[in-house]
Amino acid sequence: MGAQRILMGVIGRPHGVRGLLRVHSYTADPADLASYGTLEDDRGERWTLRWRGEGIAELRDGQGNVLTDRDRAAVLVNRKLFVERDRLPDPDDAEEFYLADLVGLAAVERLAGGGERTFGTVLAVHDYGAGASLEVGDAGRSELLPFTRLCVPEVDIAGGRVVVCRPDELDGREVVGPEIGEAAADGSGL
Amino acid sequence: MARSVWKGPFVDGYLLNKADASRASGRNEVIRIWSRRSTILPHFVGLTFGVYNGHKFLPVQVTENMVGHKFGEFSPTRTFTGHSSDKKARRG
Repeated sequence: MGAQRILMGVIGRPHGVRGLLRVHSYTADPADLASYGTLEDDRGERWTLRWRGEGIAELRDGQGNVLTDRDRAAVLVNRKLFVERDRLPDPDDAEEFYLADLVGLAAVERLAGGGERTFGTVLAVHDYGAGASLEVGDAGRSELLPFTRLCVPEVDIAGGRVVVCRPDELDGREVVGPEIGEAAADGSGL
Repeated sequence: MARSVWKGPFVDGYLLNKADASRASGRNEVIRIWSRRSTILPHFVGLTFGVYNGHKFLPVQVTENMVGHKFGEFSPTRTFTGHSSDKKARRG
């Protein structure tokens, strides 16, 4: 089995007549794509990228030759660019995890009695500015859990699993008092 | 036009009671709410709400920086998960 490859970007349309291309970067900071050095495309060819403008890059092939021709550049449109997982730097601290590592881990629920049961897999990681949350489950059924130490006490990337504790749910619905008619009917008076 | 200052921030009153109940219980709880229009108050800091986006309840861990915003801002109704690439998640 080969090393895990991670999709980092995709080549877009040619820009100008000198072989430059638009490249859509999926990295957290788009400019970081060039810092990963050699990128492999989905056909196994290797490319090195240098930014020449915002979203516009010059590509160098495996032999070190720069693409200088628009026609050669046009052949590369829609090629996906990957790097091996091993080439990503280690996260800054023990509480940070790559999304690519978390997605696909088996989720095991820790029960109140002390046992464990299979809960599904991590389907996605969401973060909309209010802390990360894990979407855990399987096809057709999923649940969102806050990515906190209380709800996800154990993350074992090497072991391929996360331990989850489902939080209690407090229903925040507005409690409406009895209708006037109901109060009259049960004799409590108005 | 912005809301008049003399009115104070809008918040559905029952959320305050739910927040008090959750804080008093001391348990690992998510408060499910539908009130996307309510302003996040300092009173809510440290609690986790599940804010309904029309489909599911997205966990919102309230921090100090979120005070003054509305709950709905953190629970988008149209979502695009994007590509993971080298993005990281921090465990809170």
